[in-house]
Amino acid sequence: MILHTLNASPSSAAFTDCVSIMAKGDALVLMGDGVYAALAGTEASKTLQETDASLYIMTADALAAGVTNLAAAVSRINMEGLVTLTETFPRQQAWY
Amino acid sequence: MTAATKKTVLLVLRHSPYGSGLAKAALDAALASAAFDQSVDLLFMGDAVLQLQPDQDSHPLGMKTIGRQLASLPLYDINHVYVDAQAAARYNMDLSKAPLQTRPLGGHDMHQLMVGYDHLLGF
Amino acid sequence: MIYSLLVLSSPFSGHSSRRAAQFAHCVTARGHTIHRVFFLDAGTLASAANSVSAQDEESPVTGWAELADQHGIELAICITSALKHGMLDQVEADRHERASPTIDAAFTVSGLGQLVDAYASSDRLITFGG
Repeated sequence: MILHTLNASPSSAAFTDCVSIMAKGDALVLMGDGVYAALAGTEASKTLQETDASLYIMTADALAAGVTNLAAAVSRINMEGLVTLTETFPRQQAWY
Repeated sequence: MTAATKKTVLLVLRHSPYGSGLAKAALDAALASAAFDQSVDLLFMGDAVLQLQPDQDSHPLGMKTIGRQLASLPLYDINHVYVDAQAAARYNMDLSKAPLQTRPLGGHDMHQLMVGYDHLLGF
Repeated sequence: MIYSLLVLSSPFSGHSSRRAAQFAHCVTARGHTIHRVFFLDAGTLASAANSVSAQDEESPVTGWAELADQHGIELAICITSALKHGMLDQVEADRHERASPTIDAAFTVSGLGQLVDAYASSDRLITFGG
């Protein structure tokens, strides 16, 4: 099981590479420019939901970016939520 | 360095050789690991496959040639090198000419590979 | 659990370096130990003692320095990357005949062996890039 963190917009190679690796049982945390992948009704959020991984977004980053219209499968977390995920998942892969 | 318990480590390289400092940073991290007797494996993903392009010569740019440095990794007992098969195909690369011997993997196999390590270092 | 962090992001581009510092504070608050934070490539700029931020912006160095002051966490910057980015402690400033050191006292100039030690000694290695 892998905890993925994505800090790059949906048009980046980082997004494409990340999605190609994500699998059921993994989790993804969107941060920085990664938050735009959570926008409801976009190709990017649809692609993420099709991976069957658990999807999270850093609340502060989403607010900063004005990303309020989230795809249904994406849950908001704060920094403590991120730390909790790193406790649960034995390894993290940073995509940027 | 303290004699800490060994961990299995995969360096996941994702960036082109000269577009940033990340390829060099990853190479240095791999060599340092070998120097401290901590084995690491490498996965070249996405644009990082371009680090494996044959016939690189970055001396005109005043930089060390990444491809040539990669060729030295087996001397440091870094022998498990994996490559994103789809990315290599995207750039029409002939991996038999790469400076390193690599094992091509598909997306599912890369996930399987990654879950086998204690730590993933993404460069 | 024992954590180490690898920071590759420049503190002057995006929010990633600050996020890493906040993450480190939170890891500590949850009762975990941070073995070391290792800064590599542009990440080493987090030690820039002479950086001046706009009045309404927080200095990227402050969050890290607090971590060292309050929790005694080791902040190690890779010597090769640090020299390249002009980040020198007193020893390196003398050695390379520069007028004065440029890094904040909370940071230590280290070799990559300290990154190897960090991941070998830690249950979690969390990377911050971009």
